[in-house]
Amino acid sequence: MIRNFRFTSFLSAAKPLTSFACSSSPARHPPQFTSSASTPLRITPPKTPLFLRTPSHAAPLSEVLKWQDWAKDLASSVKNSSTKSEDSLDSILLLRELKWLTEDSITDDITRRELGGEKSVKLRASLEELYELWRERIVNRRPFQYVVGCEHWRDMVLCVEEGVLIPRPETELIVDLVEEVVRRDDWFRRGVWADLGTGSGAIAIGVGRVLGGCGRVIATDVSPVAVAVAGNNVGRYELQGMIEIREGSWFEPLKELEGKLVGLVSNPPYIPSDDIPGLQAEVGRHEPHLALDGGVDGTDSLFHLCDGASRMLTSGGFFAFETNGDKQSKMIVDYMNSDLKNIFSDVKIVSDFAGIGRFVTGFRL
Amino acid sequence: MMSSLMINRSRSRCVLLWKTHGLKITSIFSHSFADSVSASSDSTRSFKTTSSGFQSRIFSNFAFPGTNLTRQLSTEAVVPVASTCDGLTVERIIANQWPILDENESDWKSHAAAIAQSIQVIKRRLQWKKLLVRVRMLSVELNKPHLWDDPTHAGKISREHGSLTGKMKGVMTFERELLEHIDMLKLAKEENDSELESETMSALMEMRRVSKEKELEALLSAENDHCSCYIEVQAGAGGTESNDWALMVMDMYKSWAQRRKFSVTVVDEMPGEMAGIKRATIKVNGEYAYGYAKAEVGVHRLVRISPFDSGKRRHTSFAAVAVIPILGDGSTRVQINDSDLRIERFRSGGAGGQHANTTDSAVRIIHIPTGITATCQNERSQHMNKASAMAVLQSRLDQLEMARQTAMNAQHTQSLTEISWGNQIRTYVLHPYRMVKDLRTNYEVSDPDSVLEGDLDGFILSFLSSSLDKGDDEH
Repeated sequence: MIRNFRFTSFLSAAKPLTSFACSSSPARHPPQFTSSASTPLRITPPKTPLFLRTPSHAAPLSEVLKWQDWAKDLASSVKNSSTKSEDSLDSILLLRELKWLTEDSITDDITRRELGGEKSVKLRASLEELYELWRERIVNRRPFQYVVGCEHWRDMVLCVEEGVLIPRPETELIVDLVEEVVRRDDWFRRGVWADLGTGSGAIAIGVGRVLGGCGRVIATDVSPVAVAVAGNNVGRYELQGMIEIREGSWFEPLKELEGKLVGLVSNPPYIPSDDIPGLQAEVGRHEPHLALDGGVDGTDSLFHLCDGASRMLTSGGFFAFETNGDKQSKMIVDYMNSDLKNIFSDVKIVSDFAGIGRFVTGFRL
Repeated sequence: MMSSLMINRSRSRCVLLWKTHGLKITSIFSHSFADSVSASSDSTRSFKTTSSGFQSRIFSNFAFPGTNLTRQLSTEAVVPVASTCDGLTVERIIANQWPILDENESDWKSHAAAIAQSIQVIKRRLQWKKLLVRVRMLSVELNKPHLWDDPTHAGKISREHGSLTGKMKGVMTFERELLEHIDMLKLAKEENDSELESETMSALMEMRRVSKEKELEALLSAENDHCSCYIEVQAGAGGTESNDWALMVMDMYKSWAQRRKFSVTVVDEMPGEMAGIKRATIKVNGEYAYGYAKAEVGVHRLVRISPFDSGKRRHTSFAAVAVIPILGDGSTRVQINDSDLRIERFRSGGAGGQHANTTDSAVRIIHIPTGITATCQNERSQHMNKASAMAVLQSRLDQLEMARQTAMNAQHTQSLTEISWGNQIRTYVLHPYRMVKDLRTNYEVSDPDSVLEGDLDGFILSFLSSSLDKGDDEH
């Protein structure tokens, strides 16, 4: 929520800092991390996603099926995908989400074949809550991942909640890019990597698993909510010994590692400020703007990362950044080949599976 | 001599029965069982078949009859046929066509008919007549005086002979066992010995269970039968009507798999515009999933009054089914080069990245050299969708390679695109009468609902056993 605060305040003043998350989830000062002084106390620990809760609720099968029917009707009632607008719900996708919500919240197999609607079904959330959750999904356009409290990303299940960007499918490829580099040269496996603006910790954990216990990953985020959520996710994958989460803006918490990083990865905010009001409801109304808004043309943070990469990476070190797409990627490559001439080699654009030039990668000379 | 043979059998319960009841066992067989072939190497070996799998405890301890018997009859070239005191043989049991009831029904005729049927399937699988001829030929060969002048050849002959006689004896012992039980049961009834009767009945039931297992082993013994598999259903032309039928067929397989305790995961599903599916792929996990499911490959035809037709007219719809085995790690699989692949986000569009929040992360993989594609959209992450689509692609390429390498089993190694819509295997009629009929075996039931709810085993097993007939002159 206050991601980027100090940094943006001197680099670009374009961003309005309407911080809504701090009020709803007060931040806890994480004692293990050195960080700036002004962090308010976060009292609520990260939320437990549905699938990790204990099935302490119960309801008769007939009532559960009634909820399911209601939810299906609600999902089918939305405008169908024929209106190909980006910002409309798609009932086919909603029905699939309903299946996953059911999987996450109900332990028993509920098939109609089993007769006797009075059979008791164990639930991880009360039936009232399930009604409420599905209403929020459809009426309020609350992202499905916040509804169930997790996002399946690569082969992992990451806890997410309001205040933390939901990791995107495209971003999975950053880990593939790292894997490729590491496979080619074992040197990368043993060094220190950094993931800046880690959010839920997705990239950091993905990279950590690729390194396989040899190297180290340091993940930073300026948002205390993100720091708490990422720390929780790192713990869930038992990588505390290998991945360290530091609270702070971009490179600030990494001062002692200048010129020592073998790898640098980031999915920084890159959406141009003017595009923010027109975002899809799930994104614009629910996800933290400070993880999305990249300034006037969306490149504020990316340019800062490029400059930082020249200082922080050791010779031969690798970087991979996600961008808004073809145009931004070209801007970054041009900047590196002109303003940062003779600092990087092999700078190139890598496409995502939709064919969009989504990533810029390269090596420090 | 025969009674001592019986006593020798170490099923202690049986021995005890014989002793306590003081039964006179004389002419249980109309022909004495005999090893019709040369006795030289086999006569003293304890009876334990290997390759045919008859190792159940029923006969594993059964000592082979003594040398005397064998020597004495070794000149006899005819294979003896076991029968009961009153001349009942396995063939006659089958000819009697006794109804086969549920296993729990205490009806010896039903058990006997079921066991006899299993024995028949096993014999077909072994190509029984050919087997007997081959064994006879090999015995003649083994009796030649100068055989061992060429030790390599002799070894080969002797090994094959050993293996085939093992299989043969396994079946014959099984037959004899059945007939003994029947004799025993009749005696028990005559003597009003209810204890013996129930003992024998339960022995028959146990035999029925074992024979069913052996029968299935015989039916599912092709190379990839034990594998898990993908089942793919594709709707024929005709829009909503056919899409609905394709969905019904897919649901039928899901229920069938559940009944068989296979696990099912949906890999890919392309919904129809109004209802049903255009195409779908499920993964069926479990022992012998492929062996059973391969019987379903082909075109399935439905005749009914269309629920989508306001004029209530009769419609005919088609759905094509393909089944692909998922080869285990031990098998040689096609090597896929990353550079031969193009991976696309399915249904992409828009700016993507941070702009979009969608739970849809479907992926399509195209194998450029063959043009084969695979899609997965039911996993919750793009990475897993990709892995799942890769597994489908791998299996499709494996199947293509198998089809290329062997013309055998060609029918089962077709992929969906190659199935000709003329290859109709089964018709489901809901109107004007109700019936499901398999066009390959003429197997037929009059209750389409039960079939559509997954009761497919009758169709599958009759198809599998009819495929055994090919190649054996006996039928």
